[in-house]
Amino acid sequence: MKARVLLPLIIFSFVVILLWRGLSLDPNHLPSPLINRATPAFQLNTLFDPKKTTTQQDLLGHVTLLNIWATWCGSCADEHELLVDIAKDKTLFLYGINYKDNPVTAKDWLKKQGNPYQIVATDPNGNAAIDLGVYVTPETFIIDKKGFIRYTQIGSITPDIWENTLKPIVKKLQGET
Amino acid sequence: MKKGLFFLLILFLPFYSVMAAEDFYRFDTEEQQQRFDALTSQLRCLVCQNQTLAESNAGLAEDLRKQVYQQVQRGQSDKQIVAYLVARYGDFILYRPPLSTATVGLWFGPLMILIAAVGYLIYYLRKNKQRRE
Amino acid sequence: MLPELGNFALILALCFALIQGIAPLYGYYKNKSLYFQVSTVAVIGQVGFLSFAMLCLIFSFLNNDMTVVYVQEHSHQLLPFIYRVGAAWGGHEGSLLLWCLILSGWTFAFVLFSSRQLSQKTFAKIIMVLGFISAGFITFLFFTSDPFRRIFPEAPLIGDDLTPILQDPGLIFHPPMLYLGYVGSAIGFAFAIAALIEGKLDKSWVQTCRPWVILPWSFLSCGIVLGSWWAYRELGWGGWWFWDPVENASLLPWLSGTALIHALIVSEKRGAFKGWTLLLAIITFALSLLGTFLVRSGVLVSVHTFASDPTRGLFLLCYLTLIIGGAFVFYGYRIKDFYRAPNFELFSRETFLLINSVVMLTAVATIMIGTLYPIILDALNLGKISVGEPYFNTVFLPIILPVLLLMGFAPHVNWGHQSFKKLWTKLRLNFMLCLLIGLIGPWIVGFPFHLLASIGVFFGVWIILATAQYVYNLLKTNKKIDLSHWSMIVAHIGIAVLALGITLTKSYSEERQVKMQIGETVTVGGYQFTFNHMDEATGSNYKSIVATFDVSQPHGTTRSLSAEQRLYSSHDQVLSKPGILFNIWRDLYLALGTSLPDGSLSVRIYYKPFVRWIWFGGLLLLIGGLLSLLTLQKKKERL
Repeated sequence: MKARVLLPLIIFSFVVILLWRGLSLDPNHLPSPLINRATPAFQLNTLFDPKKTTTQQDLLGHVTLLNIWATWCGSCADEHELLVDIAKDKTLFLYGINYKDNPVTAKDWLKKQGNPYQIVATDPNGNAAIDLGVYVTPETFIIDKKGFIRYTQIGSITPDIWENTLKPIVKKLQGET
Repeated sequence: MKKGLFFLLILFLPFYSVMAAEDFYRFDTEEQQQRFDALTSQLRCLVCQNQTLAESNAGLAEDLRKQVYQQVQRGQSDKQIVAYLVARYGDFILYRPPLSTATVGLWFGPLMILIAAVGYLIYYLRKNKQRRE
Repeated sequence: MLPELGNFALILALCFALIQGIAPLYGYYKNKSLYFQVSTVAVIGQVGFLSFAMLCLIFSFLNNDMTVVYVQEHSHQLLPFIYRVGAAWGGHEGSLLLWCLILSGWTFAFVLFSSRQLSQKTFAKIIMVLGFISAGFITFLFFTSDPFRRIFPEAPLIGDDLTPILQDPGLIFHPPMLYLGYVGSAIGFAFAIAALIEGKLDKSWVQTCRPWVILPWSFLSCGIVLGSWWAYRELGWGGWWFWDPVENASLLPWLSGTALIHALIVSEKRGAFKGWTLLLAIITFALSLLGTFLVRSGVLVSVHTFASDPTRGLFLLCYLTLIIGGAFVFYGYRIKDFYRAPNFELFSRETFLLINSVVMLTAVATIMIGTLYPIILDALNLGKISVGEPYFNTVFLPIILPVLLLMGFAPHVNWGHQSFKKLWTKLRLNFMLCLLIGLIGPWIVGFPFHLLASIGVFFGVWIILATAQYVYNLLKTNKKIDLSHWSMIVAHIGIAVLALGITLTKSYSEERQVKMQIGETVTVGGYQFTFNHMDEATGSNYKSIVATFDVSQPHGTTRSLSAEQRLYSSHDQVLSKPGILFNIWRDLYLALGTSLPDGSLSVRIYYKPFVRWIWFGGLLLLIGGLLSLLTLQKKKERL
């Protein structure tokens, strides 16, 4: 008897609490399964010298901010100024992957807006991005000295996100051997 | 002249809408075609509002379909293709959630509820019968 | 001017709703029946002003008044008139206004038709509950989702246009029909609360309540079927159900509504299951509110969601908690007054109907688990998963099959006590026949053996033949088959037709994706499709390419089938409009794809046998539900 009386209420409470929690979650946000794993191997041409290739080896030995960007992506434009600013700190290594873009437009863009990247690779068919589990642009990876992905930032970086989230991680990783 | 241009434009315009997949993939065997269809209709488009890779026309969906196509052509098994995508995007890309400790409740929950409900029913009716005798 | 009037009408409607809720309370306190009558008048005021508000909104759309934010977001200069009307409920704010309007409409209908059938006090309680629910929703509408919000002075000149996929006749019918179903469950809920307050549930309650439960359920069935048919016609790849979270949300109240209808039957005929009836009435409305919440809160990802806003979601959740939580607490507190020791045997019609309730609720729980599980894992930080069609198809089938089996037996099972041996003797020939038909039926007609098809044919034919045997027995004993029998017969056969349609189309559909040049032929499902020619066409706000095909069977006539690709000027979006040739046995479905560099066109051609049966089954459910309403008319006339 008691069960029949309480059961609906218990189930209802559970559902309500779940939905209340759900309101503060973002169902579209996808956490990366590559966290704490080695950066997947890739081999891409560089933007400024198509004959030169770059691989994931270029990420070793320093903390890298690997930024996926494109000229057709509005949010990438939003964060570009901040990236140029961040790049002024010479201890940081910014690695850009130009995603499914036109190399001429891309070079032009960097010339006009400034180039924050030490190396710019091109991924014309998007395969390298798939290997990195990229699903939205821009996406930024923080990779440690050993080449392991430690954090992914989905969407554009705002000054707030940089100061409070990304910079502390970068500083911490730079302290590691 | 204008009409002709428009004609060409509409045919080559990228499609952003919610409709059937546009790229056309040719397979050598019927079996490969069926595997491709089955796979793409069980994989999720990650940038859409709840659509399968088969249905969506988003750029990422096209890229992933191409990946699946190439891998089917190369002779990869369904398991390998799924594992490849899950390694990069997580379980979210599967519309058939994998069975793991976290999803035990999902896969066995309904059965448990059914058994519990029917069990309680039988118990209740039996008890009722005894009481009336 | 119109938006201001509309806004003002909302305020007045809210006042009337509050009066509608508070007056009966006051009437109780003062023990004056005048206040009950006041609340009845308030109902009229509420429905009147909400109708006026809706008209203001619709006319704002027809005039394309871009100073109204909601109009600007959903309309366009070139949008055809009929879709401007539909656009009025195509977004969150307008659909919420529709919700409120329909609730007041149902209340008004209830006042019109049932005021004499109940004691004044019971009637007043029901109106009171509905008044408070209305007031809550109009408050939510007015303060968080006002459709009449304006932008001054810099109004954009161009509207954002209605999403092309919504520019379809389905928009005119599907949401209102669905809402009639969703919102109508509030009446059953109000009935339940009234019964709980009074501590009794008598015959007049049950008899009056039945049509107000069956009619919304019928509309909900129709609404779900319309949605399925619309998706099939619109989305270009022949699918008709996707287990999308919002679709699931519409199925949940339908399932519990079905259980409620059957529990009501027992309450009426045997005076039992009163507790179940009350619980199911509360649950059905709760699920309806849950659906309303899911569509607007952004908690789940769905093609059907409105622009999500967690603050609105929070408001709705609090409101839901208050109403339903309160109802469940009240139920727990009062249910012992309704408890009656069951006086039926283990094997009896009561048991069958009890199993129906239990299994329907299990189905509800199953679908809820699947739909909400991603949130559970995310909230526990256990990662993100997707739960889609493969899961739901796997878990739903084993739950629904026993119900289909029992449906055939149930009409033959006596109230109170039934000997299993007698039942089996009566039906075993029929049962065996259906097994045989299931096994070899498809094969005889020319389809290869397919397990799902055989299962579907067995259960479908079983329900039909067992129901037919029931009719035959009635006629044989010279009993009259009245309307209430007919409504059950039609509704059950509707389920059978639905089951047949689903299983057969899933088993025997064929699909080909090919590229075709003009003049080429492709064969699908025994039909030959020849690409005949291509044209251009223009609609009021789009231009399109039309491809025409000749379709023929080896010894049959040739028919013409056209499919379109539409380019909507406002959205830069291309929409594929499939062409469909249909008859009672099969659909031939053709959707256009891209043009390929060598000048050919990629097309998807589907042969879909029996797919129309799905929607025909749904139509039978609607008819069955409506038939049962006629019974009550007849009863009233006899009195």
